[in-house]
Amino acid sequence: MSTLNAAMEASASALSAERLRIEVAVSNLANAESTRSENGQPYRRRDVVLSTESVNSFDSALGRASATGVEVVGVLEDQSPFQVRFEPSHPDADENGYVALPNVDAAEEMVDMLGAARAYQANLTAIGLIRDLMQRALDLGR
Amino acid sequence: MDISTLGGASAHVSSASTSAVVPSESTEPKALTSSFGELLASVEQSAGAANDAVGQMLDGTGDVHDAMIALQRADMTLQLTVQVRNKLVQAYQEIMRMPV
Repeated sequence: MSTLNAAMEASASALSAERLRIEVAVSNLANAESTRSENGQPYRRRDVVLSTESVNSFDSALGRASATGVEVVGVLEDQSPFQVRFEPSHPDADENGYVALPNVDAAEEMVDMLGAARAYQANLTAIGLIRDLMQRALDLGR
Repeated sequence: MDISTLGGASAHVSSASTSAVVPSESTEPKALTSSFGELLASVEQSAGAANDAVGQMLDGTGDVHDAMIALQRADMTLQLTVQVRNKLVQAYQEIMRMPV
């Protein structure tokens, strides 16, 4: 049961990571028009950085860890330039009438969200499969 | 009238089944009962973990999938324990049925 448990832990960590990816994409979409944030600048698009989970187990030290989960290293800001729109009536327009808008592309966020949702589904399927396998093994006792 | 007799019957069945279980546990050899005790402890532990996970989900501090996985794990551990118990009882009854 321990190996299947490790696989389930790995899938669970992936579920958490994908949920965070969706959350960040939603936050990007919600702030697509936010011209102000805490530092006075427009909102910057955020990205999730994922890494393999660092496990300090005996098996991983021997290089035979069966299932490795995923870990969120951090949520970083996208440093690409802001979009600029000519809109002199806007309160945040500069002296030339241009407004700096967040570097968020709605289509890109939608694709990101779709990918994260599909990955979430894939991991749910994996967990369902592991559960079915355990169930079949228990049915041996019948 | 029907219902009360039914209830009496089911109560009788459950008391019979529990009385069948208790001697089987006490008459099993040491190794089997100790492993069964470990299983029971793990059932209790996984049920507690599931309870915590559901509580966290309701608080808003935990995820739905974590709660569901914890519940699933508790269910699996319980099913495994039930199967082991069934086998123990079966073995006991098999031995008791032996003609002396």
